[in-house]
Amino acid sequence: MPGNIRSVCAVWAMLVCLVFCGKLTTVDAAPLCTNAQAGCHVLSLANLFDRVIQHSARMHGISNDLHSEFELYFLPSKNQIGRVSRNCHTSSILTPNGKENAQRMAREELTEVILKLLVAWRDPLWHFHQSMAHHHDFNNFSSNKSLEMSDMVHELRKGVQKVVEKMQMLGIISNSVSNLASPEALLASDSAEWRLMKDYDLLYCFRRDSNKVQNYLKILKCRIVPEHGC
Amino acid sequence: MADSSPSANLLLLLLISSLYWLFTPGSAFLIDRDHNTSSAPLEPHFTECISREQETFRCWWSPGSYHNLSSPGALRVFYLKKDSPTSEWKECPEYIHSNRECFFDVNHTSVWIPYCMQLRGENVTYFNEDDCFTVENIVRPDPPVSLSWTLLNISPSGLSYDVMVNWEPPPSADVDAGWMRIEYEIQYRERNTTNWEALEMQPHTQQTIYGLHIGKDYEVHIRCRMVAFTKFGEFSDSIFIEVTEIPTKESTIPFTLVLVLGIVGILILIMLIVITQQHRLMMVLLPPVPAPKIKGIDSELLKKGKLDELNFILTGGGMGGLPTYAPDFYQDEPWVEFIEVDGEDGDSGEREDNRASDTQRLLGLPHPVSHHMNMGCSNAISFPDDDSGRASCYNPDLPEQDTLMLMATLLPGQPEEEEASFDVEERAPASSERSLVQAQTGGPQTWVNTDFYAQVSNVMPSGGVVLSPGQQLRIQESTSATEEETQKGKEDEDSKETEEQKQKELQFQLLVVDPEGSGYTTESNVRQISTPPSSGEGYQTIHPQPVETKPAATMEDNQSPYILPDSPQSQFFSPVADYTVVQELDSHHSLLLNPPPNQSPPPCLPQHPLKAPMPVGYITPDLLGNLSP
Repeated sequence: MPGNIRSVCAVWAMLVCLVFCGKLTTVDAAPLCTNAQAGCHVLSLANLFDRVIQHSARMHGISNDLHSEFELYFLPSKNQIGRVSRNCHTSSILTPNGKENAQRMAREELTEVILKLLVAWRDPLWHFHQSMAHHHDFNNFSSNKSLEMSDMVHELRKGVQKVVEKMQMLGIISNSVSNLASPEALLASDSAEWRLMKDYDLLYCFRRDSNKVQNYLKILKCRIVPEHGC
Repeated sequence: MADSSPSANLLLLLLISSLYWLFTPGSAFLIDRDHNTSSAPLEPHFTECISREQETFRCWWSPGSYHNLSSPGALRVFYLKKDSPTSEWKECPEYIHSNRECFFDVNHTSVWIPYCMQLRGENVTYFNEDDCFTVENIVRPDPPVSLSWTLLNISPSGLSYDVMVNWEPPPSADVDAGWMRIEYEIQYRERNTTNWEALEMQPHTQQTIYGLHIGKDYEVHIRCRMVAFTKFGEFSDSIFIEVTEIPTKESTIPFTLVLVLGIVGILILIMLIVITQQHRLMMVLLPPVPAPKIKGIDSELLKKGKLDELNFILTGGGMGGLPTYAPDFYQDEPWVEFIEVDGEDGDSGEREDNRASDTQRLLGLPHPVSHHMNMGCSNAISFPDDDSGRASCYNPDLPEQDTLMLMATLLPGQPEEEEASFDVEERAPASSERSLVQAQTGGPQTWVNTDFYAQVSNVMPSGGVVLSPGQQLRIQESTSATEEETQKGKEDEDSKETEEQKQKELQFQLLVVDPEGSGYTTESNVRQISTPPSSGEGYQTIHPQPVETKPAATMEDNQSPYILPDSPQSQFFSPVADYTVVQELDSHHSLLLNPPPNQSPPPCLPQHPLKAPMPVGYITPDLLGNLSP
């Protein structure tokens, strides 16, 4: 019997060692996927696009919810459109305003537009969340949503950048897009305007812009990788 | 005048005040009505602006109460597209006057850019701030098309069912290009009800409706809207779902059919097997009921009404006992197991010397012959491992020493011939079993009667039982034999004593029969005499002393509990049959025996008149009822 127990223990120890060693090796290998030939698990472009589009859809949903709550809470006058339209700080960014325009636009341009929009909203949303947190009349629900929204913008921007890199790697678009990834170039011009916006206007503008981003991403995907569920 | 002037003034004053009072609210009321009716007339306004696919949109207006402006061209639509700070009001690109509609085509439609609409008359501009919008917020998609349904399943109770509804997205919405993302809402209701049931919104083009009832007519329609927006499109045309009752017998008919066919098939199979007499299969399907089958005796004799022949055979008519070459009545039944009632003696084999000597001493024979009852189960024809009859047979695989010894010490029976029956011996590998039942042939065959069962020939009034006089014959012979022995040289006192003892014991082979006791008298007696005392359960005697007596012990004490027959030697010389019929039971539950028919009944035998002619020897169960206490 003791011999049996020893052998069982030895086998067990070997198995444990194997499992752990395997895990260690895999952990080391996973993040260092520099080139596609390294044999690491690579996501396809379509998969990346799907993830990004899902993310943008969720972001738009949250912005819509927040906007509706704001309208309910503050009961503003019925239509603020006429007043608001001049105040969106992203108005300076040239965006395609129709389907055909978006489809005719070059891929690089469209990608640039998306990135510009996402970059432009990072700071305003963060400050919006800060101001919401100080407003005690808002419930925690809205406060959590605003935080979530600002995080989502950040994540989405990173995701879109990954997609761009992938596309550049695959040769789908040229390498001219990466220059715009730096946020400093954009914020310098827009830094003052958004501080003047009221919260409600900010939410309205963001809702509109998130819808734009969602649509542009979907159009881009269906132009580049149309085989998967367009 | 002066007197009436204050009253007149008062009256006037009253009148005026009342009038004033009447009129002011009334006038106000009337004026209000007039205001209501003649309040500012309804201005021309836009009733609605809708985009169906987020690429074009339309706006409808109405002239309101200004009927003079209802003619086409009286009102003009202007819009402002706020895509730059320097934008201007422009006129509607396309009028559809029949509908009072302004259509904006793709070139004039920009999403995410605010539009403001304005109606202009001759010199009047009717503008409402509420008429500003962005295109994505006014999208109401067209209803989905190709609505259809399929039956998923029906509940086991047959009362409700589930349905899968399929449709296509509206063709105008460019879902493929990803321009619009749509979610759908299905509503259904029973045919003649008013409330619609709405299912949860979801973006896929199919949905399951659960729990519809059979026999009811359902109406289903669908609408859609853009995800994360609020305005629904119109409902599609309704489709109707109805599922009538499905006859459920279809599912049960094959089941019953299968069952009936299965039973019929099994019955046919059994019949075939029985008919073709496949013995092996018959053994499996119809195992035999063990019946008494004695080797050498035709089973016909065992039936009702044939006891005479049976008794004749059993009691050794002619030849005495059953010949070993008895005709094989059951050769065609391999599964028959026999009760061997064998009168022959076989080879003695190995026996315990004690018993041999005891028996010899008992009977005064050099080579006592022991009657052995072949109780083993012998299969005349080879049939391996048949356990069906084993219960009725003595099982040689379980050597119980007591019973073996019992068998060995049975009084020697009736050897007719010197043939040995080795059936048990053949099948019993153990030597102890051999020692069981073998008796040596040889020696003077002086036995006349089979003494396997003791024959109770008399019952004393006190309850004692007198054994058969057949013993007496042997006693006489044994005495002669013992005399010979003594003459040979055994002049010991022991021998004499043993001789005397044997005589006495033979004579006094009586046991006071316990009224409730049963069992064979001889066996117990013999056991008591000759064998070392063993557990004597089952044998009940009044006095336990004889159990402890050693065989060599002398029993000079005539005050033994054994009861002497009055004149043992004189009375019972006549040959006695092996079996005595139990006539009836007296009040003390003792057996009243009937002497065999070839004997004159002894006068002192208390005997009740025969109530019915009883067969000799063998009692069948159907005759048992004739016995009555």
